[in-house]
Amino acid sequence: MNTAIKETENHFFSNKKKGVDVKGKFIIGITQVAVLLIIAVLFIILGIIIYEGREKFSWEFISSFPTNGMTEGGIFPALIGTFILVIVMSIAAVPFGTITAIYLTEYAKENSKIAAAIRFSIRTLAVVPSIIFGLFGLGFFIQFVGGGIDKTFNAGQLHWGQPNILWASLTMALLTLPVIIVSVEEALKTIPRELREASLALGATKWQTIKNVVLPGSISGIMTGTILAVSRGAGEVAPILFTGAAYYLATLPASLSDQFMNLGYHIYIMATQSSDVEKTMPIQFATTLVLLILTLSLNLVAVIIRSRIRRRAK
Amino acid sequence: MKDIKIQVNDLSLYYGEKKALKEISMQIPANKVTALIGPSGCGKSTFLRCINRMNDLIPEVKITGEMLVEGVDIYDKNVDVVNIRKKIGMVFQKSNPFPKSIYENIAYGPKINGIKNKTELDEIVETSLRKAAIWEEIKDRLDDSALGLSGGQQQRLCIARTLAVSPDIILMDEPASALDPISTSKIEELVHELKEQYTIIIVTHNMQQAARTSDYTGFFYLGELIEMGKTNAIFTKPERKQTEDYITGRFG
Amino acid sequence: MASHFEIELEKLKNIIEKIGVLAENQVGEAVKALLSEPVSEGKEVKKTENKIDKLDVKIDEICQSIFALQQPVASDLRFIMSAMQISNEIERIGDLAVSIIKKAKNIKDKHDLIVKFSIADLARQVEIVTLKTNECFLTRSENCIGEIFILNNTIKNDCEDAIHNIINEMKINSKAVVSGTNLIIVLKHLERISEHCTNIAEYVYFMINAKIIKHEKFGDKKLDS
Repeated sequence: MNTAIKETENHFFSNKKKGVDVKGKFIIGITQVAVLLIIAVLFIILGIIIYEGREKFSWEFISSFPTNGMTEGGIFPALIGTFILVIVMSIAAVPFGTITAIYLTEYAKENSKIAAAIRFSIRTLAVVPSIIFGLFGLGFFIQFVGGGIDKTFNAGQLHWGQPNILWASLTMALLTLPVIIVSVEEALKTIPRELREASLALGATKWQTIKNVVLPGSISGIMTGTILAVSRGAGEVAPILFTGAAYYLATLPASLSDQFMNLGYHIYIMATQSSDVEKTMPIQFATTLVLLILTLSLNLVAVIIRSRIRRRAK
Repeated sequence: MKDIKIQVNDLSLYYGEKKALKEISMQIPANKVTALIGPSGCGKSTFLRCINRMNDLIPEVKITGEMLVEGVDIYDKNVDVVNIRKKIGMVFQKSNPFPKSIYENIAYGPKINGIKNKTELDEIVETSLRKAAIWEEIKDRLDDSALGLSGGQQQRLCIARTLAVSPDIILMDEPASALDPISTSKIEELVHELKEQYTIIIVTHNMQQAARTSDYTGFFYLGELIEMGKTNAIFTKPERKQTEDYITGRFG
Repeated sequence: MASHFEIELEKLKNIIEKIGVLAENQVGEAVKALLSEPVSEGKEVKKTENKIDKLDVKIDEICQSIFALQQPVASDLRFIMSAMQISNEIERIGDLAVSIIKKAKNIKDKHDLIVKFSIADLARQVEIVTLKTNECFLTRSENCIGEIFILNNTIKNDCEDAIHNIINEMKINSKAVVSGTNLIIVLKHLERISEHCTNIAEYVYFMINAKIIKHEKFGDKKLDS
């Protein structure tokens, strides 16, 4: 029976479309080539990195300090520095982004000018080149805020007015804010109107409704935003270039006012400023591999959580 | 009508420029079921949502006239909308349990009202579920997710959730329109039992449902209340021709 | 737990039972008035008649309201359709009984005539038929329905015979014409009562089996369908 239906369908379609659709086939062909190209490029990059980095990539590489003028040894401080960076960044950006998203979806009126201005700002923020953030961080956080603190509290002695983890993290937080806001907003919007109404109809205030119904339902959305932001923050170098990343440190950072090493920055200096670029090639590839694994797996987790939210929204 | 619970005087509602409700005046008796019927877009749901000020959520809505609940105009500036909604519960067309456990769904309202005592909450949960005639079915799985219940059970859970904040008045917006006939008749039977303690106003597309469940029926058409009276009278000898045409299905 | 609709149906059933018993009493009174010398002036009878009329109207109202508000289907629908008809039949039985009581006063030498044309048996059978009819409505038993049909048939034949004899008597004895005519009317009434009982039995049958048998000949009525 099934096959019978299929046959008639085929028959029906082939009758309708007489002759070969040359134009259609051409377009399909082009798109196929484009897709193959992208996949090929991806595999070539991944392939080279894995191939070149495989020898150096080991537990010891991850867990030890660089030695011998950074031509040997591991990347432990860079890895830890990256972790601290993204953690401080998340602590700053996630609550701020979530609150903004709550304002935009829950409180702002549809034709509100303030909300429109905020949305415009977020969109603009998302397309600003990351080096501009770096320069902004240097100018605003280090010289203006940090310098101000030093002038007021430390009698002009330089302590906060120089690059450190805090300023780098805050700069990175600005960069990743749009990612968080958009993700959280999307999650908040998936909470059906019926649930909000149910809560309000029971005599809950708007804030009680947000706190007890809307936010618990958006937790996974907030998590996705955070993870995407972390993965972005882990990979960016430009914003921390002037605001906190160090070329080499013999010890791990002990406070927020210390500088830190960073994976992305580490790759950059190894490739451009190392005493022996050729010799450190395997270290560069292995570091790149670590960074790639880190960001890819974070993205994967975010994709999985997001697809779960979407499924629930349906 | 002896005890009047809600007195509506010349209530009009505007969506921006559009007048969606036109000078509605009616009396809703206490401890009776009042059904509001009429074709889609006639304003019956809009009117229902005026009674617990659910329309406040829509920014461009403007309301004139009086809505007196036990003599108090709920649109008065001094009235707290949150208190209104505690007193006037609402059950929606689509059952909308929170994605929480059955217990947490019922306890939600009381908790918001500041009840924290576990034994007190337990008691409220049980009585509410009993009143909604669903206790026996789900008493062994109060900690399961409410979303695992069937459509009919979810709707009765939502009724129980409304009862848990002990309202006086219960508004029902097509509570059975998404349910199968068996679940529908369970809901209808429940409505019939609840009217001893509550004043119930039910909006329904389904005229037969209005006939079966209600004591009084109001017929809305194009934003106007055409006729309101005892259900028996409306369904045997309506006074207005429009009502007769609607209930006999000869609507032109 | 009975739904409120079921409670309403039960209420209707009780009212029909009540009106049935009242009609049964009326028939009893009629038979008494016919078979013995009239004792009471029939105030009770008048009162009962009023009660029956009121209940008949009430049943119609309840049925109307159920039709309008509850959309009865299947057995409920058949019950309410039958209820309206049955109350109608019962009301007529009541009327006929009252009429018999009135006519019975106009019959002189009643006792002799009754003995002569063996009407006592006939009257008692009519009483039994009304009793059986009530029982039949309450128990909804098919055996009962069959018995009513058979009894009705006997009553019909007996009535015809009696009327035939009375007419013959009137031909011979012109003095007997007034009493005889009244007696014939009474007999016709008794026959009608039995006929109404049969109709009720038919509605009960319809209630049970959803089959309308009212215009079938007695012999064709297949109760074991």
